[in-house]
Amino acid sequence: MAKWGMVIDLEKCAGCQACTVACGMENSRLPGEHWQDVIFFSEGEYPNTQLKWLPRPCMHCENPSCVAVCPTGATYKNEDGFVLIDWDRCIGCKYCMVACPYGVRFYTDEKPLIAPDMRKVFPDEKGKASWSPPWKMPEDKEDWKHGVGVQPHDVVSKCTFCHHRVSTAPKGTVDLDPSDPKLREHTPACVVTCAPGARYFGDLSNPNSEVNKLIGEKNGNRLLDHLGNKPQVYYLTGPGGAVPGSRSMNKKGNGEKS
Amino acid sequence: MNFTYPTTIPEAIQGVVKLNTERNTTARIWQLSLVGLVVSLGFVLFMLVTEGHASFNTSSDGVNWGSAIATYVFFALTSSGLTFIASLATVFGFKEFYPIAKRCIWLAIVALIAGFSVLALELGHPFRMIWSVPFGMQIMSPMFWMGVLYTIDLVLLFAKFYLMWKEDWDSALSHFVGIAGFVAVICASGMLGLVFASLGMRPMWFGSATSVFFMLSAALSGAAAVVVTVQIAYGFRINAMPTALKALATGDKLPKVFATLIGIVLLFLITRIWVGLWSNVDGLEGFISLLHSPWFHIELWVCLVVPFFMMLTPSLQVSPKAQFWAASLVQIGMFIERQVFIISGQNVPMFKGTWAAMVTPYSPSVTEWALVVVGLSAMFALYALGERLFNLSAMPKHVLETNGVLARA
Amino acid sequence: MSSNVLQTPLARRRFLQASGVAGTVGAVGVGTGVIPGFSSLTEAKAEAPKVASETVITKSFCNQCSASCGIDVYTTNGRVHAIYGTLDNPLANGKLCPKGHYGQYILYDPDRFKGPMKRTNPKKGRDEDPRFVPISWDDALGIVAGRLNTLRAKGESHRFGILVGREWGKLNADLLTSFGKLYGTPNIGINHGSISADTVKKARLFTDGNYGYYSYDYANTNYMLVVGTSFLEAGRPLNGNMQAWGVMRSKAPRTKVTAVNVHVSTSTAAADRQLLIKPGTDGALALALAHVILTQGLWDKKFVGDFTDHGNRFKAGQLIDAVFSEKDVKDWKLAQQETADKRAVAAKKDAEKVAADKAKLQSEVDGLRQKLKGAKGDAKAEQAITKKIAILEQAQSEKALSEQRNREQRAAMEKGRKSEPQPVVGEPVFREQWTTGLIEWWNAVVKDATPQWAAGITSIPEHEIIAVGRELGSTRPAMVLTERGAVAHYNGVYNGMALTALNALVGAYFAKGGVGYHQGVPWGKLDVQPENFLDEYAKAPERKKPRIDMAKTEKFPLAGTVIQDVPRNHLKGAPYKMDTLMFYMTSPVFSSPESRDWEKAMAEIFVIDTSPSPSETSHFADLVLPESTYLERLQVNGGTPFQGYPIAMIRTPAIKPLYDTKVFSDMIIEIGKRTKGTMADYFKKLDNTEKIAKQMAAGFMEKPGSNGVNDYESFVKKGVWFKKPYGFRQIGGEFFEWDGLTKSYDKPMTAEMVKEKLFKTPSGKFEFKSAYILDEHYAHYAAEKMGIAQEMVGFPQYIPVKYFGGGDLHFITPKLATQSEGRSGNLAHPTALMQPSVGGKRDVFLEIHPDTAAKRGIEDGDRVRIHNEVGSIEVVARHFTGVRPDTVVLPMIHGHWGMGRWSKGRLPTGSVNELIVNVSEPFAGLACVNSTKVFVEKV
Repeated sequence: MAKWGMVIDLEKCAGCQACTVACGMENSRLPGEHWQDVIFFSEGEYPNTQLKWLPRPCMHCENPSCVAVCPTGATYKNEDGFVLIDWDRCIGCKYCMVACPYGVRFYTDEKPLIAPDMRKVFPDEKGKASWSPPWKMPEDKEDWKHGVGVQPHDVVSKCTFCHHRVSTAPKGTVDLDPSDPKLREHTPACVVTCAPGARYFGDLSNPNSEVNKLIGEKNGNRLLDHLGNKPQVYYLTGPGGAVPGSRSMNKKGNGEKS
Repeated sequence: MNFTYPTTIPEAIQGVVKLNTERNTTARIWQLSLVGLVVSLGFVLFMLVTEGHASFNTSSDGVNWGSAIATYVFFALTSSGLTFIASLATVFGFKEFYPIAKRCIWLAIVALIAGFSVLALELGHPFRMIWSVPFGMQIMSPMFWMGVLYTIDLVLLFAKFYLMWKEDWDSALSHFVGIAGFVAVICASGMLGLVFASLGMRPMWFGSATSVFFMLSAALSGAAAVVVTVQIAYGFRINAMPTALKALATGDKLPKVFATLIGIVLLFLITRIWVGLWSNVDGLEGFISLLHSPWFHIELWVCLVVPFFMMLTPSLQVSPKAQFWAASLVQIGMFIERQVFIISGQNVPMFKGTWAAMVTPYSPSVTEWALVVVGLSAMFALYALGERLFNLSAMPKHVLETNGVLARA
Repeated sequence: MSSNVLQTPLARRRFLQASGVAGTVGAVGVGTGVIPGFSSLTEAKAEAPKVASETVITKSFCNQCSASCGIDVYTTNGRVHAIYGTLDNPLANGKLCPKGHYGQYILYDPDRFKGPMKRTNPKKGRDEDPRFVPISWDDALGIVAGRLNTLRAKGESHRFGILVGREWGKLNADLLTSFGKLYGTPNIGINHGSISADTVKKARLFTDGNYGYYSYDYANTNYMLVVGTSFLEAGRPLNGNMQAWGVMRSKAPRTKVTAVNVHVSTSTAAADRQLLIKPGTDGALALALAHVILTQGLWDKKFVGDFTDHGNRFKAGQLIDAVFSEKDVKDWKLAQQETADKRAVAAKKDAEKVAADKAKLQSEVDGLRQKLKGAKGDAKAEQAITKKIAILEQAQSEKALSEQRNREQRAAMEKGRKSEPQPVVGEPVFREQWTTGLIEWWNAVVKDATPQWAAGITSIPEHEIIAVGRELGSTRPAMVLTERGAVAHYNGVYNGMALTALNALVGAYFAKGGVGYHQGVPWGKLDVQPENFLDEYAKAPERKKPRIDMAKTEKFPLAGTVIQDVPRNHLKGAPYKMDTLMFYMTSPVFSSPESRDWEKAMAEIFVIDTSPSPSETSHFADLVLPESTYLERLQVNGGTPFQGYPIAMIRTPAIKPLYDTKVFSDMIIEIGKRTKGTMADYFKKLDNTEKIAKQMAAGFMEKPGSNGVNDYESFVKKGVWFKKPYGFRQIGGEFFEWDGLTKSYDKPMTAEMVKEKLFKTPSGKFEFKSAYILDEHYAHYAAEKMGIAQEMVGFPQYIPVKYFGGGDLHFITPKLATQSEGRSGNLAHPTALMQPSVGGKRDVFLEIHPDTAAKRGIEDGDRVRIHNEVGSIEVVARHFTGVRPDTVVLPMIHGHWGMGRWSKGRLPTGSVNELIVNVSEPFAGLACVNSTKVFVEKV
């Protein structure tokens, strides 16, 4: 009965996106289907332009609006604090996507960001999953009840906090430290690979966990707290820093004419 | 020529078969919409089989719910509105509305069916829905209740129509079904509103006003729908109408109800836009894009303001043509309204930073347009079917004095 | 395959038996590559596995940059599905940069070559389909050997060449060198250094005597000035840099970072201060910083030295004599006298004041005493007066006491004060420790390089320059980091020297938290040496031919390589025309300046490409000899970890080659075997890569690594040999070697040892006046090329930057953090997050300042044409206030036309290099990739 949570230290984060790439590799994501994304935005005028960024996994909220709106119970929050999707129940109504204030959810069947469509290049012969790349995770790790693996057609997917890794951690683990050979394989991919060590993962229900210590000592704060979703992902911003209070940070707009 | 409505199944089938060859307004509507339905549905199914929902222009980066959802909402609310109009007679006893009651109920049924079919084609797993929603029992989800209530609504509509078909207008049961249906549809349309109104992270939708607006604009859609069909049914010939209906059509009651509803909807739209434009709340940038969208202006000026004054002008109020055009414009306006409401509510992306435009561009794909055609053609086909198989102008004996002559010559 | 040592997969069932004993789990886990804690995966979880899977971890090293981080390659049921950093690898420490996770995409790239092929369409061009037909390896290698033999028969062996990018370490390097020697051509192994960063190495060779890349002690530095390199994007090793970044940003004191670049990127934005400088003027900035450090007396006196009179004669614009003159001594004496007199006067004044106060007080007391007598009888008054008197007397005694104290303190201070060193006529004014030529440099260059002067050139505000100079000078340890950006200009070497000089001024050399160099790997000797296989042909004097790129000729006497000139020289036929060119790990037709020239040249030359997957080069190839991807290869490498200590890696196949491919070194050996003459015997003796690798690894026998690696088997098991820590350290102006016993830097080094091992300059010190360039071989060349006086060529200085190509906007083409070396152009996953700063997730965008764009009527998202004298490409422009208004930035990625299905159908319409004017910096021969100017207009 843990309550897994993540702390991201924005002072250390170098904006390299290794987390995003590692997540895509570990979870067999499509190009651009960034369960874990790094959000960039710039402010100010030359020569004092500031470029800022913010890694954005699923927040696995204590009070998840996606779970509240799901008409079938396909999206659920389990006893260990994961917010997950049961791909066998999901009807693909996308209500959860509309209701997620952090934009972390993805629908399987959309126009490919990059052509040719990788799903057509690596189709699933069995016709079960939406595609089947040769590098996808081993079959026995796939777990549709928890939204892990290459998803079937017409469902919604999102970051699982690497449920297939974390849920197999030795019972009673408090901090998942990737530098511990025994825990490494049970730590989320983004945390394992983060070179500056900007990510921490542990049990928020344990007052002595590293994550709780950091949140307490370094004044961890959460994204769009006023919405009351109570994310289980906390950000350390350093003295005087803050996470953006606005979700539409790109005031200039992306130049793609589409 | 004397025309009788089928009373037995074989006769009904015969009627349907005839409909394919007959040459009259109803038949033409049937034939055209049938072709439209076959073609559009064929195309949509082909695209869904080959491309899947990737053939839609919706995107996880911005607009998750596209024109298909808007189309569903359009039909669902039109259906609810028709039930409201019917209830004027069946629940509130405004006798003068009896002549259109049965027609309203039938139209409500077909609109809802059209809406559900569009929704089914938009959903990822429509068939899975059939078990996973009831078994899920997600009583926290507005969408769950929307499903429940619209199902009840549909059942009651069928019941009511059956009773009308059985000429049972005044029995206690009939009254009960009418009242129950009214309550169900109030809840259903309100709940459909809540699907959007409950989302605090979507400020353009958030708040009770959305629910109320859905009910009232539903009534407007309903009124418009019935006016249009009545005029078509009688080929714009007032004299062809039964006296009671003539009274309703030429009187100023229907137009006034109609005008009032337009007025209320205008009020909602204008207050919403000025609040939206004035406020700096993150996510309301959608209103700015709304102002820049030609569709919004067509909706506002052409499809609402113009009909509003038409229906207030005594000379035009009573002109069938004027009524027909006003109603048609309003119906188009309502369709646009559902679209812009749902799109602009989403196109300020959630935490996409530089990866997405500040307001993500969205326009329906060919498949999504085809889906609109599916809905419309389904509705018209079923309407024509009803026109052919049931006497949609039927009304209680005491209201009925002289028979009208339907436009079948 | 040797990797079988590793590939002893443990079936889940077998594993469960073992997993009862925790100890066994650990033991099994080590090396054999079974995932630690794997057991709980089945035990704890309710869902039973659908398929029993056997996951094997193969130790390998990354291919995405020269740093070569150790990677764990996860293979399950014959499929590679994950790559993570190796936990016990000193570079990776279990981490990776984004590029590290691309391996599986490259391995399973559907566009890969399936085996050797030969061209059947004689016509060559972008739009010509090569019409490749598959052939056997034997035929393919035979064709190559055949051409080599005919060339040799005609005495034209020099017309065969091999161009390389990352040649992957000593094994390949030696193989190629001996191949060249034995076959008889100077054109083997012409590498990409001259389109990389050779100039920075030259700048260091000239000043500190080392031709190589710095190693940086990031984790211990307190101040970092990063000039012209994107530390957190293209910087190598990105993984290591970012690990260090994590430390720097969280340690106490937090490392302060100033980044100097031409546009805002993650690297500049993450820094504490970002300065956007005019391209190519970095040298001026460096000199101004030196000026500030010197004039404000902030240089490291222990390392550099000091004025013998401990004064500071660095005064803006003022010359300094080398030695003290009569006048200096006189002035000094006068100054001494003056101060003495001043003191005396002051002392006198004090004494008088004190006396006066005393008298005043006394008189008051006396006055009161009189009153007291007068007030006899009036008890009240008496009381009052006596009270006053008491107070005054109290004050008197206190004053006396404090004066007493002051006297004692002054006396003490006088005792402590040592007499100022007296200047002696003929004595040097400034005594240098580990540097030479400082005063000459000051007089010749730095004295006039004021912040104001630099501000005018660099466009960086004067006050910013002063602030940075103060910080750099007053923070220890501090370091200056620069790689390619500032030196890829015609004046590049001097920019580089000026920046390097700063590291000397702040004493960063070999210091804790400073910069150093790399120690070599003790590879084992091979039992066959090429010298013994040279035949008459190879020995013949006719073999002394200039290289096709004219490096090391009168044209580029100091350059190591000038790869970008190969097509130009070939087309001119000067020195001669090439017959056959083989390409390894480089595709200059895309990545070299004026890349269109390559297309012309390659149309005439017999081209052999060895890339595993299609590229612009293979599009022009007559023969395709596909190499295996790095997850399928056996390869050893001594990396450039940028961390000083010696390190060597080995990669063994994580999976058998998917297709009919070979390792490059085996191709070379096989070609060698098929040639005529004694050279064939040499390669027959070498036999194959694995055999060589084993001999090389034998060298670890005497020098076991810090991780216990001491032979081939343990090398393969760990994937890495290394010996920590770095062997040398400068502490307070003294040099020490690491002592393995005491585990500390406590073996003092003599000046001779320092000269031999650290400062390999003629003087054995850091030279602010480079003896290397002043050597008569080069001085004239340098003076002529740079248009400066011969006596000036030795000094770090700012030579006005030159721009080329016409145009009114600087054109900068950086490398991005997610851009792998070579392959990401056809990888959809990296492309989807390629350019975050302006949201390039399918195309890459041209960064243009809104004002600059407005002047040209370019709106955000417009398609624009970039053009100049040499080329023209089209791309989408994005408004970005983070780029200089006089500069546009377009990453060097995409615009491919021969790389595969995912590289097509996106902008830009061509390689940025189609616009880069092919001008070379005269010393290293480095292409001036940052000196190009362009026009930008709306399409």
